[in-house]
Amino acid sequence: MLRLLIVRLLAAVPVLLVVSLVSFGLTLLVPGDIAAEIAGPTASAADVEHVRAELGLNKPPLERMIQWYGGVLHGDLGRSISLNQGVGEAVLQRLPVTLSLTFVALTIACLLGIPAGLVAAAKARAWPDQAAMGAALVGLSLPDFWLGLLLIWLFGVKLGWLPTGGFVAPTTDLLGWLRSITLPAGALALTQLGPIARMTRAAALEVANSDYIRTARAKGLTEPRVYARHVLAASMVPILTVVGIGFGLSLGGALVVEQVFSLPGVGRLVIGAVLRRDWPIIQGGLLLTTFIFVAVNLLVDLLYLWVDPRMREGA
Amino acid sequence: MLRRRTFTTGLTTAALPLPAIAQSVGQQGRKGGDVIVAMTAAPPTIDAQATSAAAARNISMHMFESLYTRDEGANPKPELAEGVDISADGLTYKFTLRSGVKFHNGKTMTSADAKASMERYAKVGTSRDTLKSVAAYETPDSKTLVMKLSTIYPGLIEAISSPRAPFVIMPEEEGNKPMGQINMIGTGPFKFVEYKPDSHVKMVRFDDYAQNKAYEKRDGFTGKKTAYFDSVTIRIMPEAGARTAGLQTGELHVLEVMDVASSKRLKDDKNIKSYPMLPWAFMTLMMNNNWGLTSKLEIRRAIQAALDLEEIMAISTDGLYRMGPSWQYPGTTYYPGADGLDAYTKQDLPKAKALMKAAGYNNEELVLICDSSNKPHLDAATVEAQQLRAAGFNVKLSVMDWPTVYTARAKPEGWNLWPLMMGIEPYEGPYNVVGFFGGTQCVQIKPDPVIEECNARLANQLKLEDRRAAVKTFQDRMYDQAISVKVGEAGIVQATRANVMNYAPYRIPRMWDCWFA
Repeated sequence: MLRLLIVRLLAAVPVLLVVSLVSFGLTLLVPGDIAAEIAGPTASAADVEHVRAELGLNKPPLERMIQWYGGVLHGDLGRSISLNQGVGEAVLQRLPVTLSLTFVALTIACLLGIPAGLVAAAKARAWPDQAAMGAALVGLSLPDFWLGLLLIWLFGVKLGWLPTGGFVAPTTDLLGWLRSITLPAGALALTQLGPIARMTRAAALEVANSDYIRTARAKGLTEPRVYARHVLAASMVPILTVVGIGFGLSLGGALVVEQVFSLPGVGRLVIGAVLRRDWPIIQGGLLLTTFIFVAVNLLVDLLYLWVDPRMREGA
Repeated sequence: MLRRRTFTTGLTTAALPLPAIAQSVGQQGRKGGDVIVAMTAAPPTIDAQATSAAAARNISMHMFESLYTRDEGANPKPELAEGVDISADGLTYKFTLRSGVKFHNGKTMTSADAKASMERYAKVGTSRDTLKSVAAYETPDSKTLVMKLSTIYPGLIEAISSPRAPFVIMPEEEGNKPMGQINMIGTGPFKFVEYKPDSHVKMVRFDDYAQNKAYEKRDGFTGKKTAYFDSVTIRIMPEAGARTAGLQTGELHVLEVMDVASSKRLKDDKNIKSYPMLPWAFMTLMMNNNWGLTSKLEIRRAIQAALDLEEIMAISTDGLYRMGPSWQYPGTTYYPGADGLDAYTKQDLPKAKALMKAAGYNNEELVLICDSSNKPHLDAATVEAQQLRAAGFNVKLSVMDWPTVYTARAKPEGWNLWPLMMGIEPYEGPYNVVGFFGGTQCVQIKPDPVIEECNARLANQLKLEDRRAAVKTFQDRMYDQAISVKVGEAGIVQATRANVMNYAPYRIPRMWDCWFA
């Protein structure tokens, strides 16, 4: 297992290098910089150039690149111009928002999606299967921003049960956090629920007719116990794969959901930075997000070993 | 010889007619509460001097004040100054500062603070060019700041009173700090608590705030300001639907802007009050006079004749607009009238086609660039593209994000048309409107000699009537040479919960002199 860990961590280095090169390349290819945003929409080109000079944005690209990589090697991701704050600090401040949103969304998606997939497999081609898969398809097809607005309208405006936006830190008020995260996580979960339910169904159907499942039934176990204890366990590898991918997609989906629900997370930070051309944030944010994505994939690989003893031998 | 000009005679843009607002005269304000305001965008920086972004203004105008600022009708009025004495030769401005004004850090404001703030502005301020005629700042005593000009600049008070990128006064020790790195210490009715980027800005009432007793009540950005709310939280909420929903549920109390469709939908909601603001901005269509098709006068005139301006306004503003051809707002000091402009503002397709033929138009591409982040820009561009196609132009509509459009339009080539709302500039008066079309960095790319002369006359004529004549000449030239198109005047809607009392809409949602019922 240690060997796997080391190999995968080493494999992450070129991934991070490519991502950093691409993100730096974007700064050269994409027009515009934050000076125009600071100077304002009707500022003259001279005004913008003055701001650029004040902020040191007019240095040659190679010099900026060397400076940035030098900083990264020393653990310094640069400094955001618009926030007047270190990039690492800015991202880490917002990471709890995005991670809690993603974590709650995936938890909801798993809690609903896996049982729905198992029921669909157990009642394949019967109405529960069609109902579960139909619902999954609807969840998969709805854009999360639209779903978010719909949830705001229903649970915020019409029913008044939950706040329409904003974030409460769990350390400040646990119930407030739960209330603030429920709608955005719900919107994000519904888009992830579909793939999880469908993958669970497919995997469960594949193992449902195996000999050991037949043996379990022959022992007199009820169908729910057969599915809960044996079919689910044997289906966990593909389910974990789709949950791992779902985590990455949820990080992407959080960009939109955070915007709709005014959550101060990494997604909103990066979107704001893109619109303002705050390059240090874009570069640092991309690098850190990639690192998280790689780390989650590694975690999924380790979980494979845990749920499937056969894979430990190979590792 | 110096003469005292405590207020604005002869200096100003005079009253900008704003909507009549029912002021709760006679009502007693009540202290308390945390008012939550939603604004649409995050500021690129909260350093007030360094940016002209409206989002920064929403925050900074609650915490900072200037020597002069603008009243309800956009006229320059004293704020931290008692007044100004201007020498007969127009080269010396002697500001007398108000006594007993305290900064949020407890320090009393002196002329040294004012000097350091103006000197910082001259280095990092967005509108720093307006201070280039100032040769020296002197502080003969703690209450007096003298600005010595090397050349006359009659627009100085208008310039330093503008809230565009406000000339705010901060403690002397902040004066040397680079762009974006100041501590938020001002003299305003609210003091800074925290800024959580992408989330909110929090301010609390400054209990040692020195009210300006020269006034009787709130007046634009100046006046006798009273802070009633214990605190102000400005939340950054980019999604319009979420902002409206927040106001409906009572989670938000004030919206910087509510889309017109929502304000119509909620007009019968007794919990919400809408405040239309008209005029708010000029809708314009800038033309590149330097490159391609629009370098030809006949083509620019053809574009002028091909556009149905009212249709563009009706669609791009959701119906909240008024037509007005002048490049100044009616009722202001420099308003040059609109006589003779009808010929330029009526759609005339046969005329457009004849001009295109005269120019030898042969289906060349007309490049219309537009940003996607501003809905009125995008809607206006879409309608303009269709109208120009109907006239026979081969229009290429390029939609990009704001920084890309800005970069593209600053280039001398590669674009012909660019829709732009000018919000704060026409509110300020003529200087930044005429100035936008002047100099080597002019928006139409190719400087026009007559407009250059107008800018010079605005800058160096001491008599108001001479400066007004310059604005008239500028306007005539804009139409005659079809330098760019003024489409119309757009409005916005601000909104509050019904329990926010004595609110009056303005360029920003002002959270002083209003309170919870």
